[in-house]
Amino acid sequence: MANHSQLNFQDASSPIMEELMGFHDHALMVALAICSLVLYILTLMLTEKLSSNTVDAQAIELVWTILPAMVLITLALPSLRILYMMDEINEPDLTLKAIGHQWYWTYEYTDLKNLTFDSYMTPTTDLPLGHFRLLEVDHRVVVPMSSTVRVIVTADDVLHSWAVPTLGVKTDAIPGRLNQTSFLANRPGVYYGQCSEICGANHSFMPIVVEATPLANFESWSSSHPS
Amino acid sequence: MLASRVFSLVGRRSISTSLCLRAHGHAGVVKAEDYTLPVYADRRDVPLPEVAFVRDLSAQQRALKEKEKASWSALSVDEKVELYRIKFNETYAEMNKGTNQWKTILGGVLFFLGVTGLILIWQKHFMYGPVPHTFSEEWVSAQTKRMLDMRVNPVQGITAQWDFDKNEWKK
Repeated sequence: MANHSQLNFQDASSPIMEELMGFHDHALMVALAICSLVLYILTLMLTEKLSSNTVDAQAIELVWTILPAMVLITLALPSLRILYMMDEINEPDLTLKAIGHQWYWTYEYTDLKNLTFDSYMTPTTDLPLGHFRLLEVDHRVVVPMSSTVRVIVTADDVLHSWAVPTLGVKTDAIPGRLNQTSFLANRPGVYYGQCSEICGANHSFMPIVVEATPLANFESWSSSHPS
Repeated sequence: MLASRVFSLVGRRSISTSLCLRAHGHAGVVKAEDYTLPVYADRRDVPLPEVAFVRDLSAQQRALKEKEKASWSALSVDEKVELYRIKFNETYAEMNKGTNQWKTILGGVLFFLGVTGLILIWQKHFMYGPVPHTFSEEWVSAQTKRMLDMRVNPVQGITAQWDFDKNEWKK
């Protein structure tokens, strides 16, 4: 989860998110270079007296056509690399379904047993001391850590979006459509996210909580749940 | 069908144009729009304007223009300045002189920022309710402890700032 005034990304808990953070650093550097160049040229322009010499300039027109093309390539290549990396065939160990409703999520683990449950937000009035307002849920999505998990996301009524920023996951839940995403949790931990597509009055109040645990814990959890 | 519509458009245009001609009685001369006529402008990047600034010269000015046709060393400084003022509106120095407009603009911006601030203060005082109980100091400290126990953001975030051996924030 994020601190109260956090502006930057949360620490990455999956390899894809690490890649995305690296790309973001790269893109921001490019943006910084462009902005400082523009600011410099702007001050030059504003302090330069106009004269008949400043009305046309063929060489610079060529430069500021070629240079942006090169900048775009510098951005496009890493971006596409990560895009294709996200779509690699990765043979997930576990498949789970996330179904969005107004205003809660349903999770189905139907690989080996018939495990289905709803996940509602814990109301602020019922929060135990020290728990996170608008983020806690009654039933978390437990997954084994260091295992590729495939999530099939869909919705029952209106558009929703299943997002967990620290895992680098955001997938729209569209009624009548199955969208697939996958992640791998590097560390054991509890990861929070919120519904990311406006879906009505309680759109801000249907969070997602993923709990990544060692495989033994996951297995005991799933067997302790009635099928 | 299309051809006849085109013809009627062309026909209509020729009629209206000829009406214009007849009304003005210039017989073949089209009225020139203002923006096509040469105009005077003080601009650094177009240093020689299309027309002189003063078009209708007084008798005195006309006499001066006649004198200009002779040797220029015979002209006094005042006469040269007068000739300049006939040709041009402003000197380069006058053209480039700044204005005091920035003070007005800055003042206006700061004023409206102040008004916005007053609105925000009014809102906080009269409109908003109390913040949720999870913002109390007791809750926030319990929450922070829970975040550290859960190892939230352990790489560079909050847990990375906590020294678990000494039980205090890292210096």
